[in-house]
Amino acid sequence: MNHITLIWIIAEKDLRIEYRSRQQAFLTTLFFALLILVIFIFAFDPGSRATRDASPGILWVALLFPGVIQLNRSFQTEIEEGTLCGMILSPVDRGVLFLGKLVANWIFLVIIDLLILLAFVIFFNFAFSSQLLWIVLLIVLASVGITGVGTIFAAMVSSIHTREVLLPILLFPILVPIILAALSGTQEILLREQMQSLNRSIQLLVGFDVIFLAAGFLLFEYVVGD
Amino acid sequence: MPAQSHPLLRLSQITKTFGTIRAVWNLDLEVYPGDFLAIFGPNGAGKTTLLRIIASLTQPTSGRIEFSQKNSSQNRQQVGYVSHQSLLYNELTGFENLLFYARLYGIGNAQDRADEMLAKMGLEQAGDQLVREYSRGMKQRLTLARALLHEPQLLLLDEPYTGLDQHGSRLFTQVLEGLKEEGRTVLLITHNLGEGLALCTRAVIQHRGVLVFQAARQEFEKSEFEKLYFRAVEPGARSQEPGARSQESGVRSQESESRIEKSESRSQNREVGDQRS
Repeated sequence: MNHITLIWIIAEKDLRIEYRSRQQAFLTTLFFALLILVIFIFAFDPGSRATRDASPGILWVALLFPGVIQLNRSFQTEIEEGTLCGMILSPVDRGVLFLGKLVANWIFLVIIDLLILLAFVIFFNFAFSSQLLWIVLLIVLASVGITGVGTIFAAMVSSIHTREVLLPILLFPILVPIILAALSGTQEILLREQMQSLNRSIQLLVGFDVIFLAAGFLLFEYVVGD
Repeated sequence: MPAQSHPLLRLSQITKTFGTIRAVWNLDLEVYPGDFLAIFGPNGAGKTTLLRIIASLTQPTSGRIEFSQKNSSQNRQQVGYVSHQSLLYNELTGFENLLFYARLYGIGNAQDRADEMLAKMGLEQAGDQLVREYSRGMKQRLTLARALLHEPQLLLLDEPYTGLDQHGSRLFTQVLEGLKEEGRTVLLITHNLGEGLALCTRAVIQHRGVLVFQAARQEFEKSEFEKLYFRAVEPGARSQEPGARSQESGVRSQESESRIEKSESRSQNREVGDQRS
């Protein structure tokens, strides 16, 4: 069986479990993100220039924190009944297991992020224009890097009791380059008419995605090895 | 053990330490095709660690593991593993669980194989039920079905009777008897001396990471083994004088007695040698 089929088999299993068991978790994660947006709306005057200037940061805060909750949960089920062990016992390459988990996390994160973006545009009174498609592209690219690093760190801390606290502490410093690139690109799209440096943000995100994916693929074997 | 065949698995001088704790200590073991090997020992004897090493889930600190095939992914293909945990997804049905693992193992006609294993374990009626709705006994049989999906040459069972009621235990024993009749090679870890001895062709006692006794099943009686077992694992057993033991034991055969003492003395010598080095 080729690697792409195996990656999809693992991802499809995770998405099926997600659909059956964690619809509640999906809604909770989404609600958490909406709550962040609402708090910012109450904290700042929605029509003011200052709010508009801060809006890219607000969007990425709302996108990042719920993502970490999801990443933490992705290995929780695997640990509870030892199913991670079951997958490791199979002759499937461990890098392929990593990519399967990553694809499921990525799909889940992108769906949540797109719903958050929709709420953000409505709450902060931005126009539904074709420029938003660029933000969708930034979200899709940034999510690859976030889930790439997030999946490997989630696997590392999965058997630790304080994993909920530990994961963001480990994850966010590593994600700084991705967050900065995504934030800079979002500022270009939302606040400036000319998007001169957007290409640079996209190139940076693609570069970090490749680095994080390759690192995760190579390191996963050691993370789950013993 | 069948002397004519090559061992399916050979462990040489396997040691596994966790910090200062010796889980497995200079352990040698050969498993031959068709062996039904029962490993007995108290909690903390290192039995689970030994099985995890064989299953490639843990790397030994030192020593050598030789399977009849060399490649590590082929090794994984050769081993079926039933652990304390079910290794099953509660939110998938029994059939979906088997289908998922069958696909991971690259089994052609995965759906037919999953159906076949459900039928073999008497779970065909429960195939569409979510695993979280299964009883402990059903779950354990499904776990065994998962471990046997890919027709492994070596089946590792780590305390499979844990949590089973008497009915569940009897059903599970019937399944294991079937595997024995099929001539499968099985390594069974259990605290249940009765069940283990009824099934095994060879019995081993592991204590403090060391194999202190090893013999073919026909070489001893059950009552003899029970006394031997409790003697071997009782606190301070290894520090006792051999003479004191033989005075007390009217039941143990001299052969068994000398076997256990040889094993102990071998491991003690190794420890001394290790400390000197």
